[in-house]
Amino acid sequence: MSLDLQKRWAERPPGMRDVYPQQAKHRRRLETRLLRFFEDRGFEQVSCGLLEYVDTLLRSRSAGEAEDWFRLFDATGRTVALRPEMTPSIARMAAPLLAAGTAEIRWCYAERVYRRTTDPATLSWASGKAAESTQVGVEWIGRTGCTADAELLALCQQAADAVGLADWQMVVGHASFAPAFLASLGLAQAHVEQVMQCLARGDYVAARWQLRAGGVAEDALSWLAALNPLQAEAVPEVVRPYLADSVVAGCWEELVSLARVLAEQGLTDHLSFDLTLARDLTYYTGIVLELFAPGVGAPVALGGRYDDLLGQFGAPAPAIGFTFEAERLLTALTEGAWLHEPEGEEREC
Amino acid sequence: MLTVAFAKGRTADGVWPIWRSAGLPLPLALDESRSLVFEVSGGPGGSMRFLLAKPADVPTYVSLGVADVGVVGKDVLLESEREVYELLDLCAARCKLCVAGRPEDRDKRPRRVATKYPHLADQYFRSRGLAVEVVALSGSIELAAVIGLADRIFDLVQTGATLKANGLVVFDEVLDVSARLIANRSSFHTKRTAVDAVVQRLEQAQVAACAGVNQA
Repeated sequence: MSLDLQKRWAERPPGMRDVYPQQAKHRRRLETRLLRFFEDRGFEQVSCGLLEYVDTLLRSRSAGEAEDWFRLFDATGRTVALRPEMTPSIARMAAPLLAAGTAEIRWCYAERVYRRTTDPATLSWASGKAAESTQVGVEWIGRTGCTADAELLALCQQAADAVGLADWQMVVGHASFAPAFLASLGLAQAHVEQVMQCLARGDYVAARWQLRAGGVAEDALSWLAALNPLQAEAVPEVVRPYLADSVVAGCWEELVSLARVLAEQGLTDHLSFDLTLARDLTYYTGIVLELFAPGVGAPVALGGRYDDLLGQFGAPAPAIGFTFEAERLLTALTEGAWLHEPEGEEREC
Repeated sequence: MLTVAFAKGRTADGVWPIWRSAGLPLPLALDESRSLVFEVSGGPGGSMRFLLAKPADVPTYVSLGVADVGVVGKDVLLESEREVYELLDLCAARCKLCVAGRPEDRDKRPRRVATKYPHLADQYFRSRGLAVEVVALSGSIELAAVIGLADRIFDLVQTGATLKANGLVVFDEVLDVSARLIANRSSFHTKRTAVDAVVQRLEQAQVAACAGVNQA
């Protein structure tokens, strides 16, 4: 061993990761297993190009979200970006079909996605933002209601079991509940947005501070955390009046119906509701989900309902989807070993 | 079992009293021992393992999941930009991030800033419309101002004794800093009962420490 002091070997851009034969095999096997699992349940694989116009990706979301995208100009001077996720591309592809009369679309995919970061790939695959990662997911367009939501959560849980993930925990929230709840407490819209941003970052300290700054004396975050749709009858007396607001009540009803279906179908063993759960994607309108596993610091699967996005592409339709982060899932499945195994040594994952 | 990463030194010293009054287990013989890992029985989750780490490394340990929760200063958290949950302000180990320098440099436009917090320093000076050169150092930041490597330092000030001993003065107080309880995103959900128990006990214990404190 010696350091390459003369720098003989070509450098690799930050965040990129080389995947050698054994590791590539691991990853391909996982992608294949997930895709087959989804296909067996009626989801057909689709694919599309890596580049999208920035204004396509920005439909139904805030300009700030583009900050960590790889953006460049195409030959005509229009800004394109390496896709940061698949959902907008799927919406773009699905919209004309929906407009032509297709009632329901069930698609799955396995694609690389990109974000700007300087974190080394192996670490960012375990936690944080990866410059390049593989997402294997499903999008289900055209169905709404709690049975569809429950079916999708079940699909995610079964897929996690099917690839052998142990000790996972699914956390479910609702994108519209917390903002409406905070507004019903009398918090001004600007403060609501601030609080939601803090929650999406996971900064509960700053979220509490924002609440106080907005004039809310109550411990609204603890109330949110204590609300459990699985025990709808056990809502604390102090919180009840705030559930009466029409938007809040609508979301709460959705959650309670979903919880009832989940309980009936036996899907609640490793599932908890957390109404402080916020995703940094603004296009979500209904339930949101994150699937956690020991050994990695970020969700191995994530998704939610986005009923307004297709409308932004000219064909209004309800939709819900989720995706597995393939490398992070592999890290959890093999405790990180998939990246370090010597060649020739097989390990089932 | 819960694994707790503690920022060694000032932060740990400031937080032990709260940790103790919260009834959480403490590693024994901390002072005499040079070990970095302690396992103690009791507390939420049955037992606790303590990792004593360099402050700047605590967010790394927690975000990568080798520690479930961590105790570290807000300054380190802001600088590291790691993906973790920030659960509680412990209102302990309080100090301030300050801009300081030699008195004779006070009225001059800043040109070069020495700091352990390159991101935060850059943010601070940019937000005031000042173009400065940031020199990242890893310790004894005061030295840079004393020998003239930099005309400003951007650093943590607790008592001000070190500044004074080196003939430096505070020009601006940038941020109040205190110790925070952070959690790994996955552990927060997969070990929710134990983490919640730690939060609740600390919450009760820190009420006294936080009383009357106006947060920045």
